[in-house]
Amino acid sequence: MARRSFDIRRLPGAATLAITCFVILYIPLVILVVNSLNAGKAINVWEGISLRWYATALQNEGFLNAASTSLILAATAALVATVTATMAALATTRSKGFRGEGTINLVLNQPLMVPEIVLAIALLIILAQVKQVTGYTGLWYLIIAHSAFCIPFAYMPVRARLQGMDLTLETAASDLYASRFYTFRKVTLPLLAPAVLAGFMLAFVVSLDDVVISEFLKSPGQDTLPTYLLGQLRRNLTSEIYAISSLLLLISVLIVAGSWLLTRKKT
Amino acid sequence: MLDIRDLTKSFGKGDSTVTALHEVSFTIAEGEFFTLLGPSGCGKTTLLRLIAGFEPPSGGALVLDGQDIAQMPPNRRPVNTVFQNYALFPHMTVAQNVGFALGAQGRPKDEIARTVARMLDLVQLGHLAHRKSGELSGGQQQRVALARALAPKPRILLLDEPLSALDMKLRKEMQVELKRLQQETGLTFIFVTHDQEEALTMSDRIAVMSGGRIQQIATPRELYDQPANRFVAGFIGESNFLDASCAHGKLVLPQAGAPLPVTHPDGPVTLMVRPEHVFLGPAPGAGLSVPARVERLVYFGTDTHVHLMLADGAGLVARVQNALRGGAPCAEGDAISITLPADALRLLPKEAA
Repeated sequence: MARRSFDIRRLPGAATLAITCFVILYIPLVILVVNSLNAGKAINVWEGISLRWYATALQNEGFLNAASTSLILAATAALVATVTATMAALATTRSKGFRGEGTINLVLNQPLMVPEIVLAIALLIILAQVKQVTGYTGLWYLIIAHSAFCIPFAYMPVRARLQGMDLTLETAASDLYASRFYTFRKVTLPLLAPAVLAGFMLAFVVSLDDVVISEFLKSPGQDTLPTYLLGQLRRNLTSEIYAISSLLLLISVLIVAGSWLLTRKKT
Repeated sequence: MLDIRDLTKSFGKGDSTVTALHEVSFTIAEGEFFTLLGPSGCGKTTLLRLIAGFEPPSGGALVLDGQDIAQMPPNRRPVNTVFQNYALFPHMTVAQNVGFALGAQGRPKDEIARTVARMLDLVQLGHLAHRKSGELSGGQQQRVALARALAPKPRILLLDEPLSALDMKLRKEMQVELKRLQQETGLTFIFVTHDQEEALTMSDRIAVMSGGRIQQIATPRELYDQPANRFVAGFIGESNFLDASCAHGKLVLPQAGAPLPVTHPDGPVTLMVRPEHVFLGPAPGAGLSVPARVERLVYFGTDTHVHLMLADGAGLVARVQNALRGGAPCAEGDAISITLPADALRLLPKEAA
């Protein structure tokens, strides 16, 4: 029997196109990971499998410093962004419509729409002045900037979860003598926890992978993992860079997968 | 005990205002099983939500034990609700659900544990205390919702169509169970339903609602036997309605022979008679004798519905219990004379159709 309904999978060439896209996306990543395992020194001569470049990387002070900066930055920024995003999501879903609610939504999601380079330049102009006045050159500039552009990534899963949550649960809690705070602590927050954690992980990965804003705002001598890699690339491409990139890839994939596992619908 | 005075609720503003409740007033007595009955959109759930405190009223007072609670937030009212979808907390066990209110009130742990155990015994679910609520069947969730609402010993238990999600057999069981719980605890129940059978079998008194107004408040038997108006007569059970008029102490039904003496003010009326009260043929005692033609017979097992047509084309249904012997009481197409007994006739105010 002929199927009348439109099905994109049955369009001629759809499968070929899809497979081509996947190949273009993933083959370079596979090559990168394979190269990182190359035992030889030259990047285009295969000499067998080895983890020596990972070992080299893990003894490299520059890499270790950049990695620890990146992890501290990502963890702090993701935490700030998640707390802010959760409060914002509660305000936009759990209170009756208020003036400027649309504007707040727009402002929260602004980092998704403004080109990152523009934001970076704008921040650079202001922060350069602030640095001159205060003399402070630490990590907090990056933490604040990362927190800001991570907010929408934490906001989205939390808001989606709040909108999908059965409101009668909170009504029932208030019926059963729970104050607003007790309801939030015992009902709303536990049900929201997976989405909050997922939002935190997404924000963490976004911060971890950011190049543009970090590159513009970092103080001299300060490096995150991506800006460190960028700096190394300016010299020459080594298998060690492949190994570091592979490590970054692994962390990102693990965290994104974790976030996906937390938010998918239980069936 | 609960005195509802001129309670009004409107939604929306300006031109788009919808009034869901029009100055409703009545009193519920201690220990009563009181039912709000009506079709969807009649205001019964709105009234329940106002009593629970989920919505503020637009006007009027809710006096519980002498105190006006109309503006009190829900978590301070000694009133608990069993929700239509149960609204059990999915991340908690059965015991945690039942103990929730006591925890929110800050009661000591051992007292909570004792109360939870007693409540679970009451609804016969002690063996499921440590299950998550999502692992229970519909009927079990229903019992947990009941135990949870009863645990803090409310002054009034509100039930919002709690049986509507259950299948027929379970629903009948739960009807008996609810009545037992109410009698055992001596608690005041306010029960919302659109199911007249549920209302008739469980309630001490029923308020029939329509269009945001109370149509009649009475015991189940009074509602059935003496409906106040055409809406109530039509909503509770089945009824025949005929246009008639009263003049000089006599009831005149155009299709009938001799008029019937009545004590009723003169003017047009709607005559109501239940199908099971219509006699085919003559009947003892006073009554209206009306010629009719048998249009159709519908067999229902225990009884047969006889669809009749009167001289002017008006329809009437008679319900005749099926006898063990003798077959059908009449045949389709028969011209017969039916009797509407005087004591079965109800005169209702005539309303614009």
